[in-house]
Amino acid sequence: MATEVKLPRLGQGMESGTIVKWLKGEGDAVKKREPLYELDTDKVTQEVEAEADGVLLKILIDSGEVDVGKTVAFIGAEGESLSDADAPESDRRGDEQTEETEEPAVEEEDEAETEGSSAPAMDDERRRGQEAAAATAAAASPNLDSGEARIKASPLARRLAREKGIEISELSGSGPEGRIVAEDVERFEIAAPAATPIAAAVGEVEEIQLTSTRKTIARRLTEAWQAPVFQLTISADMTRANELRERLVERLAEGETKPTVSDLLTKVAAAALVRHPAVNAHFTGESIRRFPVAHVGIAVAAPNGLVVPVLRDADRRTIQELAAARADVVTRARGGKLQRADLEDGTFTISNLGMYGIEQFVAVLNPPQAAILAVGATVETPVAREGGVVVRPLMSLTLTCDHRAIDGADGAEFLRTVKELLEEPALAL
Amino acid sequence: MPELTYREAVRDALSRAMREDDDVFIMGEDIAEMGGSMGVTQGMLDEFGAERVRNTPISEMAIVGTGIGAAMQGMRPVVEIMYQDFLTLSMEQLVNQAAKHRTMSGGQLKVPLTIRTQGGAGWSPGAQHAQQFESWFVHVPGLKVVFPSTPEDVRGLLWSAIYDDNPVVFFEHRLLYPLKGEVPDELEPIPFGKARIMREGADVTVIAIGRMVPEALQAAEEAEALGISVEVLDPRTLLPLDEEAIIASVQKTNRCVTAHEAVTRGGFGAELTAVVQHGAFDHLDAPIERVGAKFGPLAFAPAMEQWAVPHAADVLEAVKRTVARA
Repeated sequence: MATEVKLPRLGQGMESGTIVKWLKGEGDAVKKREPLYELDTDKVTQEVEAEADGVLLKILIDSGEVDVGKTVAFIGAEGESLSDADAPESDRRGDEQTEETEEPAVEEEDEAETEGSSAPAMDDERRRGQEAAAATAAAASPNLDSGEARIKASPLARRLAREKGIEISELSGSGPEGRIVAEDVERFEIAAPAATPIAAAVGEVEEIQLTSTRKTIARRLTEAWQAPVFQLTISADMTRANELRERLVERLAEGETKPTVSDLLTKVAAAALVRHPAVNAHFTGESIRRFPVAHVGIAVAAPNGLVVPVLRDADRRTIQELAAARADVVTRARGGKLQRADLEDGTFTISNLGMYGIEQFVAVLNPPQAAILAVGATVETPVAREGGVVVRPLMSLTLTCDHRAIDGADGAEFLRTVKELLEEPALAL
Repeated sequence: MPELTYREAVRDALSRAMREDDDVFIMGEDIAEMGGSMGVTQGMLDEFGAERVRNTPISEMAIVGTGIGAAMQGMRPVVEIMYQDFLTLSMEQLVNQAAKHRTMSGGQLKVPLTIRTQGGAGWSPGAQHAQQFESWFVHVPGLKVVFPSTPEDVRGLLWSAIYDDNPVVFFEHRLLYPLKGEVPDELEPIPFGKARIMREGADVTVIAIGRMVPEALQAAEEAEALGISVEVLDPRTLLPLDEEAIIASVQKTNRCVTAHEAVTRGGFGAELTAVVQHGAFDHLDAPIERVGAKFGPLAFAPAMEQWAVPHAADVLEAVKRTVARA
């Protein structure tokens, strides 16, 4: 009997993933722990390993979004053919995959569902339909989409779907063995778009399907938007910080990463965070968690959208170490190679758009973190000093604070420390 | 409110009934001088005398048979079967006689007999002294079946059993005897057919009886730490059964686990499952899980006995299955 390859849950809250590509083809020998396919989850793209030795008999889902727990392929013995018993039910959302042989049976299932009074007759009909489908399938072996067309759904899920006018066949199940449970109906209802047909517009409209990452960004930022926030802005004179950076670059050894203003800022912010733990905090809804170490997330524009890899223990690392760590995660973020662990446990986030010439902006919270720092470009600015006007490189810093966790004075003190440390970097030591 | 052990609560109900009512007497093996093999009737011989606290020969058939006779003659006897395993010897009297006389006589006779018994594993008594047979009697029309889990309930329900005009098989659990709990100052009879919600919860209802009630409460504590909110319901009387409360609870939580110490197969959990699937069919979001002992005669060896009978951990596992995602 073949082993089902099911879409794994790679982290808490993961409900689905998108298969990017298969690293093995049908008929290839696979070993346990060997990479089998690439999976794009709401956080990262990673390789999923085979859980059994054998031959990749059949790939059910070549690419596209799949719910956790769904069977995506079969691994079995060389020469083994898949029996109907192995065939999973139709359980995938999205892309086409239902073979024609299955359709009659599915339709009858739907009728049986709605016309309870004629159920026994329909049962017979359905059975005959299924037998016919199975027979067709057997002829065209291996055909995994044939077989049992009964959709597994809990009674509660069926009732809710009936009440809400949702066809059970439209749903995909997250319960054991792909069973549709009440939560799936509720989630579908939320996700279902309002059915307002819009007249076709002239010209081409580009419709971009949301990736898992994009959906997560949308969901989390919508949540974050509901937090009561306030912003504080300050400007720092970057003269000394720039000097320090230049000195570090001069002393760079062969093969070392060139530190940037961002790295300096990470170091300075981390030092300020451990001095102001009120800002180095999570707001959980139940409590405020203040952290003794600063794990600083840095917002990176990756091809699939924003990701925030975390530089751990930033307060205890040198600028050079931070530069190397930053270069590593940025490279991997752009290549879609981040692991979940790279994205977890951040206590604070820095978003820097200075390289685009943005002078000042407001960042949206990265929950459950209680604050995020938006960094603008360093701009040569005329400044009044000792009765005269001098030109200084000023950088704007805007701190967004979750007011449920942080009061204005806490945020202001933190920001003042950041400014002082940037203007006198030696104090960060 | 005073605190009594489950054992003291049984004795309290018996003694109060005997003080107030000359028709009530107790009868059983070694219940007089010895005070019962579990010490439940200790001291009662001194207070009530040998006429009303009667030792019997070792014949369960005779014990129940004479109880039926006395009951039909207007007394309210409470007979004790030392271990419920020995109820097997009195089945003829219980099933064919006690349960039938009232209807067969067209209501001219009644059998206000209470059959107290105890049992349960957990102290290595082996295969013949630790069984749980409550489900056998739920299958017999004409009997009532009670299985309390707390001192308050055992006292209030025993009183109601004594004053019920039908034969009542009253199960106590060996491991519950030392359990302490508050009881009202005055004995308040607890009506049959009323379940008790032992703990409120939102995600899954555990219907537990006997020893599995405290085990289910412990499992509920542990589940809470995992973010699962468990409701624990004790039906208290299995026949009559408070179907309304059970169905209402599962309609609220959408998931159900049954738990008893008796073997799962053909156990009372099967009846509960049938009640729930019928009354709350459209509310169920997961298959009903049953927790019970493994299907085999119990071993003397403590480790094997503990392995065979269910504990809080088994309830927790079942709870997790009902809320599981693949």
